[in-house]
Amino acid sequence: MKERYANPYLIGVILGLILLFSFYTMGRGLGSSASFARIATTGVNLVAPEHARANGYFSTYLQGGKSPLMAWLVFLTLGAALGGLFSAFISNRIKGEVARGPSIGVSIRLWLALGGGILSGFAARLARGCTSGQALTGAAQLAFGSWVYMLCIFVGAYATAYFFKKEWL
Amino acid sequence: MGPLYKFGWFDFAYSLQLAGLIGFMFGFVLERAGFGNPRKLTAIFYLKDFAVLKVMFTAIVVCILGLLYFSVFGWIDLERVYLLPTFIWPQIAGGLVLGIGFVMGGYCPTTSVVATASGKLDGLIFIIGMIVGSVFFAEVYPLVERFYTSGDMGAIRLTDVFGINSGIITFLICLVAVGAYRLVEKIEQKFGDKDTLPKDSPKIKRAAAGLLILLGLILAIVNPDRTIATPAVSEVKPEKQVEAIQKPAATSETPDSTGFKIVDDEGC
Repeated sequence: MKERYANPYLIGVILGLILLFSFYTMGRGLGSSASFARIATTGVNLVAPEHARANGYFSTYLQGGKSPLMAWLVFLTLGAALGGLFSAFISNRIKGEVARGPSIGVSIRLWLALGGGILSGFAARLARGCTSGQALTGAAQLAFGSWVYMLCIFVGAYATAYFFKKEWL
Repeated sequence: MGPLYKFGWFDFAYSLQLAGLIGFMFGFVLERAGFGNPRKLTAIFYLKDFAVLKVMFTAIVVCILGLLYFSVFGWIDLERVYLLPTFIWPQIAGGLVLGIGFVMGGYCPTTSVVATASGKLDGLIFIIGMIVGSVFFAEVYPLVERFYTSGDMGAIRLTDVFGINSGIITFLICLVAVGAYRLVEKIEQKFGDKDTLPKDSPKIKRAAAGLLILLGLILAIVNPDRTIATPAVSEVKPEKQVEAIQKPAATSETPDSTGFKIVDDEGC
């Protein structure tokens, strides 16, 4: 079935204005990947608090005695989930499924989703942000590293797209 | 003058509510664009549908123009907007790996949230993967710490690297954007599925492209960096303090009156 989605240029303009609104009100841009690092920290902190505190990276999220989840980006990500849910709901797109191309099985697709998630989670921490927090937000401020990062995302994806052709086409 | 939070207009508790609202709009427009669907997202890598590039590039250009015009009008103090620092080597490596993760998993972090919200199991698995990846990063952090902090160039902009003012850079980016839109639409026509591609009136597109270039050109002539160079901090401070009182500071996480403390700035 062919889905009809909104015009990408129009969406781009609106997204740019949302980003501008975020800069104007908060002095910072959008983002989400740090939320998952915070969820990870919370989990590790529950299971092995000493280990989390001793770790050079987890401990950065544990400063100040607050829960790592009491953070701006965590609330933004929750909002994004609700916004996505609302949009999918009003156009009848909520459907339990495993999205994939016609020539790939469910279990392979899920393994690839897991692998892609692990790579993305790792890479987003290494680069201090993901496509929204680093590429979109930084590029809008003309940050040099963010432009390089965005270019590298496309290079990495185009260079390996051939190997995942069966997953999508 | 913005950013409002940095001038103490509201407290941390309110900023979290605002985060929810901004996030809601963010997730909403991503889903509208079809970015909860990994086949739509990855179609760009098979030259079939460049919606990802159009949305991202347009958002970036609109926001660059917005920030610089706001700055020229004195509505925002760009010095107080958190600028992501450049660590060039981890950013190059991270970008390449994230790109592979994108085409393998079908999502980038935020779009996987939107996909999960619309019922996609693979989106949820991708999120679990990201949490695992984050744990893995933290566990190997002692090993990668040196690389993670390498290539530190500070918070630099394209303007510093190329040595030209942000107005001219913006003008060039506007030109590149219009050129890129033309190019990818040609490619889409060749490889894409003509039924699903948006059909815009050429007249509107030409007008929009003209407007974009005009806005960039005005900035190039105005040179926004000149206005940034003279921040009027002391002048704005009193009026903001008056505004800060209107919100009862039940939770005093941040000092409201001096309110410049950056609570929690982090990349992404």
